Formats: sequence, structure tokens, C-alpha cells
Amino acid sequence: MKNQFDYIIVGGGVAAATIAKGLLEHKHDTSILILEAGPEIIAKDRRFWWDYITRGERPYTFTYDQKFEANSTGNIDYQTDGVRVKAYGGSTMHWGAWSLRFRPEDFNLFTNTGEGADWPINYEDLETYYNDAEAYLSVCGDDSANWVPRSKPYPVPPFEWTAADGEMIKAWEQLDVVYQDGDINPGKKSKIKSGKMPVARYRKCMTTGTCKYCPIGGRFNAQYVLDDLKEDSRFINFEVRVNSPVHKVNTSSKSKIESVTYTDNINGKEHTITGDTIILASGAYNVPKLLRASKNEFWENGIGNDYDLVGRFVVSHSMLNVVGKAQSNPNGWFQEYDFPTLMSHSYNTKEHQKKGKIFMFKNRTTPNVDIAQLMIDGKTREEIDEIVYGEMTVNIQAFLEEKGKHSNRLEAKPGKDRFGLPQTTVHFSRTEEEMKNANDRLKLLEQIIEKMGLEIISSRVDKPGGHHTTGTARMGTSPENSVADKFMKVHDTDNLYICSNAAFPTGSAVNPTLTLTAMAFRLVDHFIKKKQN
Amino acid sequence: MNEEVTSIGGSVCNEKLSAGLIFAEGQNLTHQNKEALWEIFEAIGFSWSNTIYNSNNQRSSWYEMLKAKTENAPNYTGEYVNAIYVIDELKAMYGKEDAYKKLFFESNIDNSAPPTTRLAHCKVYVVNEFIRMQITAGGFKSWGTKYGGEQAKNYHGFLGGTRYNRISKVRAYNPDSNNLKNE
Ligand SMILES: Cc1cc2nc3c(=O)[nH]c(=O)nc-3n(C[C@H](O)[C@H](O)[C@H](O)COP(=O)(O)OP(=O)(O)OC[C@H]3O[C@@H](n4cnc5c(N)ncnc54)[C@H](O)[C@@H]3O)c2cc1C
Ligand code: SF4
Repeated sequence: MKNQFDYIIVGGGVAAATIAKGLLEHKHDTSILILEAGPEIIAKDRRFWWDYITRGERPYTFTYDQKFEANSTGNIDYQTDGVRVKAYGGSTMHWGAWSLRFRPEDFNLFTNTGEGADWPINYEDLETYYNDAEAYLSVCGDDSANWVPRSKPYPVPPFEWTAADGEMIKAWEQLDVVYQDGDINPGKKSKIKSGKMPVARYRKCMTTGTCKYCPIGGRFNAQYVLDDLKEDSRFINFEVRVNSPVHKVNTSSKSKIESVTYTDNINGKEHTITGDTIILASGAYNVPKLLRASKNEFWENGIGNDYDLVGRFVVSHSMLNVVGKAQSNPNGWFQEYDFPTLMSHSYNTKEHQKKGKIFMFKNRTTPNVDIAQLMIDGKTREEIDEIVYGEMTVNIQAFLEEKGKHSNRLEAKPGKDRFGLPQTTVHFSRTEEEMKNANDRLKLLEQIIEKMGLEIISSRVDKPGGHHTTGTARMGTSPENSVADKFMKVHDTDNLYICSNAAFPTGSAVNPTLTLTAMAFRLVDHFIKKKQN
Repeated sequence: MNEEVTSIGGSVCNEKLSAGLIFAEGQNLTHQNKEALWEIFEAIGFSWSNTIYNSNNQRSSWYEMLKAKTENAPNYTGEYVNAIYVIDELKAMYGKEDAYKKLFFESNIDNSAPPTTRLAHCKVYVVNEFIRMQITAGGFKSWGTKYGGEQAKNYHGFLGGTRYNRISKVRAYNPDSNNLKNE
């Protein structure tokens, strides 16, 4: 078994797949080893797909964290169970594929508000990589949208709004939600065109691109990228080992990272593999845990942790959630896609940073009637008609931006999970002011539901969780304020990199993966330039 | 448990079975079995009036599902054969039309409980799965028009349409068109 590689990548999710693809396409014989703790789940399988359609079963859910494997402390429950897929392909096995860019102010949160952190790079430094990431994921979007600056059109046209979106658009117009202060025309209120959700379409998807199991590899899933790389005869030195949790990164001096040690879960044997460059792409939960577990004479508190910052500043998004009810639904509308088609960035701007930006959308499942379930329950056609054309609920949601706090920390707790990875605990609290801000934001959503003429039947702030965990090994300008530098290289090391949402100093109000993918493209570029020099 | 409330069928329907899939590794469906199962599938469309003329345009998808469920583990052949016994008994007792009426609307089976009778196995593993398949593969389209609205075009997980957006794949909102039926 080969035990020396140019690059070792820990974790087999989208970050790992994107780096491997970039490096291999640049130089076909680059030797790369990906070590993935979880198993390989069978993809593109018709039987699994039929079980998904007829029984709602998905073959990867057994890899999710169980309650006993991941808990939280603090005044807010942080949801970790049932979220992350630990398998070849990572969480893109079941992600929603919403693919949004961060906005320029997200890179300057501290400068703008005195809270959270700044990125050591600006939006402009990432803009062309966003183009690359959108092309790679086949993001569909509206070219006339002006909510974020872009230098290239979207590679694929957008999904249309569904019929039921129209009622919310009209309410937004009445409430000025379609107008935005500031960035586009500073000092002026200009109409924003931000309404169509950008979604990764990848390559063959014929309809929605977001089914949680796809029989033909149509939706984006990092697993398919890795499969393609493995099957490509040009890439003779590319290897993926699954069931291989890395539990230590080893160094030969303070700066020189030498190897990683993993266990082969099939036979229990331990292996140490050396690499010229080592990249931790093991997600925002496992990057900090692995760094802190890697203690040695040079790094007594774990690699990158001389200032006790690893695992701190954890942020996610809380979901704001308001549900309204109409007395009837004469058009028998139900949300025909499985993702939100309507979104607004009016409160995702610099002006709203201090209080916490929100990214609003009409939720992905309402209005909805599960007609099949009603039939299963023995309801007759007449009874189902009454329900389909009867009361209708519509749900508006928003992701709330959060700011990293030193006291909020993710760390290992004693014991291992079923894949040999350390278990997790998240310490997470919110201040009273943050709670108040969240509730104020809810009021805006309530107004929208009321403007639609609906009766509010529920209004709440849902808990944050592992979906968008960010910031646990953040980038910055020095070891005193951060774990990694602007190329995500761990401070004071020569060759240890992080490619993960863990490295993001802020989490914005939108989903992270397009930004992560752009950062992976930027890292590949950095490696190539470094080699050339 | 289901058996206390089961009120239809005779000794076959109410015979007790363990809840797991009926063992059938290595077994296959005969042509006759498939025809009998197709009758159950077609009866769904008749009972809820949600096909265009009949279920024939779903036949190839349905057949593909049957193949996937019987040629790969865990093998559904035992469940399918059981369902045929169950429906045969119901037809003998109530006649064809009422047999399906009883099975679909009056079985009293708790669909979320483990199935412990032949009837419950038939309902949970066969009828309920056929219903989900029937709706996803196009049965949903018969809703939307009752009060002059548009026919539904897509359902969660429905595989149809093309990659490009020339033809709308959902009932769409177009700000320029008259979309005011709800006002
Ligand atoms: C339900 C859900 C929906 C989401 N929807 C969206 C969306 O619509 N849009 C969006 O932008 N983002 C979305 N996300 C977030 C998105 O999934 C993540 O941003 C993305 O998957 C992160 O990719 P990654 O490669 O960094 O990590 P992961 O996908 O987490 O992959 C890391 C892999 O590393 C492995 N690993 C961990 N530790 C070790 C170790 N020590 N040794 C070896 N292997 C290890 C893990 O098993 C895992 O497979 C969603 C997330 C969830 C949970
Ligand atoms: S709609 Fe797209 S993602 Fe869903 S099953 Fe079809 S090809 Fe796959």
C-alpha cells in the first residue's frame, strides 16, 4: 500500500473533491490520497431510488450523528443530530443545492459593526473563483439580478417562480421589501431584482436537481465528482480510502507537517501516511477537533491552538419561521419544487449587519398537500378535494446572520462515534440583545404574512445547527486573532491547510457551499502558483 | 397492533404474520402474478379518478419498479404474492368492485404500525407503495382544475421535463400574466 503522496486530503466531501479535481486537471499524475472516515453509500441505484419514492427511505441517514454522539450546552440548543452525512461525498449527499454568493460586506463584518471578524480577503479577491464555482456546479440563476456584483452570467437560466410565489411577491411590493438601500446605488433606494433562487443543477438533472436520492447522478453530489476522478485513466496516482478516520496530524518540527495517522475501520489497523501538503477538508466539526487532538512537543495544545482559538467563534444560522393560513386554496396550489423559488436580499445588506442580516425566502414545502398520504389514509377523492382546495398554509423563512463569539465553542467530548471520530459538544449561547434582534426580525416576516391576507398560526426562531456551521478554525491576519492565514494555511506551519467552512471568519446570511467551493478553487490556484515559483 | 381493529376479509386476510418483509430470496413473479398486481395498481386510478383515461401511461414505470423491487434484495416477491392472495379472498367475499373499496377505504389498517396480518402486509408493503408511485408518476396531475385553475405539473421527486426551461415545469407565476384567480 502506497504511503507517500504529494497531497493528503482528510475528508471526502465537496471541498476535498473540488481540490482533487483542480489539482489533477492541472497535472494528471499528481499523487493525491483522500481519507474519508465514513463508508461509501451506493449511488445512482434504481432500487434505492424506488425505496426513496415509495417509502421515503434514504440509504445514508444511518451515518447522521445520533443524539448521544453530539450534544450542546448553553442557553440555545444547537442541533447536531440528524444533520451531517459522514460518508464518501459528505453532506452534499443530501444538501439543498441552494448556491448563493456571500455579499461584499460579509468580508468586513468587524470593520462595519465592531463585532465578529473581518476576512483577510475581500469579495473582489474571490469574485472570479465564484464564477468558476458556479460553472462547476452549473448554478442556475437570474442574470438580471443585481443583489450581488458579478462579472459573468450564470451558467444556467433560473427556475421560474411557482404560482403561489405571486401572492408573496405582491406583499413584498406593498411593504417595500423589493427595495434596498445602499450598495447598488449608494444613498438611494433602488428596486432590487433578487427574487429567483440560484440552485446547483449539475449535469443531467431533468427537473428539480434537489431530490435527496437521485438514480442517475443528476443532482450535485461530491460523490459523483470523486467517482469521475477515480474512473479517469489519466489520474493514475489518485486514491480514495473510505472507512479511514484520521485521528492525528504529525509534525517533525513546529512548521513542518509530516504525516497523518488513520485507522482502517475494516480491520482495525493503524496507518501513518506522509504527504508534502496536508489539507484538512473534514468539515467545520472535525477540523477543530483534529487540530486539538494533534498534540506534540511543538504544539502542546494541538496544532494551530497556541492562542486557544481552535473551535471558538462557532456560528451557524438560526431559521426564522412564520406560518400563515388562508381559508381556501381555489387553485389547489402546492409547492411543486422541493426548494424555495422566491427569495429576497433586501435585509441581506450592509445596513442590516449590525442587527443581524437576514436572507428571506418562501419556504420549500408550502403550500403543500401530501396527496399520496391522504390516499394511504383512506380518504376518498371528495375528501381529498376538500383538503386540496381548502385551507392553505404558507410559510416564510429567513436565515439569520450570527457573529462569532469567543465563548461559543465546538469541541470533542470523550468517546468515539460509530466511524471512529471523536464525539462532539457545542457550547452555544446568545445574548439578550441577539434574542431581541431575532424577534424583531420575526416581526418583519409576520408583517409579510399579514399583508398576504393570511392569519398567522405560528411564529418562531428555530434552533441553529450543524447544517451551516462556520468559523471554528477561522482565517485572519495573525495567530493572535485566528487559526489560519488568507490562504487557509494554519499559522506557523509550512504545509498544513484547512479547506472548510471552519475557515470562514463570518457566516453571512446565506448558505456556505458556493463560497466554500470558490475558496477551494482559490486554494488550487495558490498551490499551482506556489509550485511554479 | 393492527389485528384488533381489522374488520374486513376472512381467514387469509387475518392470518398473523411477523412484521418484516416476507422471505422470498431467489423467487420470481410469474406473468400471471404481474397481471394480478397490475389490476391492483389500476384500481387505484379508478378509485381516486386521477388518471387521464386509465393507468396505461404509467405501466412502464410501474413495471420498472416491480423489477427493481423483485430482482434486488430485499426481494418483494413474497409481499406481492401475499397481496394477490389477499385480494383474491376479498374479491371472493365482496366482488371485485367492493373488494377494492374495502381494501382502500375500509381496511382499518394503521399505516404507521408494523404490519402483522396478511391484510396489513398487503396494505403497507404493496398498496401504500403503489399509491406513492402512482401519485409521483403523474397521478398528482388531476388536482388544480376543479375551480378553473391550472393542472398541477410537478410533484416532489417527479422525474419529468427537460433540463431547459422552455416549457414551464410547474404552475408558474409570471408577473406579466393574469394570475389573479385567488383574488
Ligand atoms: C441538510 C443539509 C442541507 C444543506 N443544504 C445546503 C444548501 O442548500 N446550500 C449550501 O450551500 N449548503 C448546504 N448545506 C451545507 C453543505 O452541506 C456543506 O457546506 C458542505 O457539505 C460542506 O462540505 P465539506 O466538504 O466541507 O464537508 P462535509 O460534506 O461535511 O464532508 C467532510 C467529510 O469528512 C469526513 N471526516 C470528518 N472527519 C474526518 C477525519 N478525521 N478523518 C477522515 N474523514 C473525516 C466526514 O465523514 C465527511 O464525509 C446543507 C447541509 C445540510 C446538513
Ligand atoms: S429530478 Fe433531478 S435530482 Fe431528482 S431524481 Fe430526477 S435527475 Fe435526479
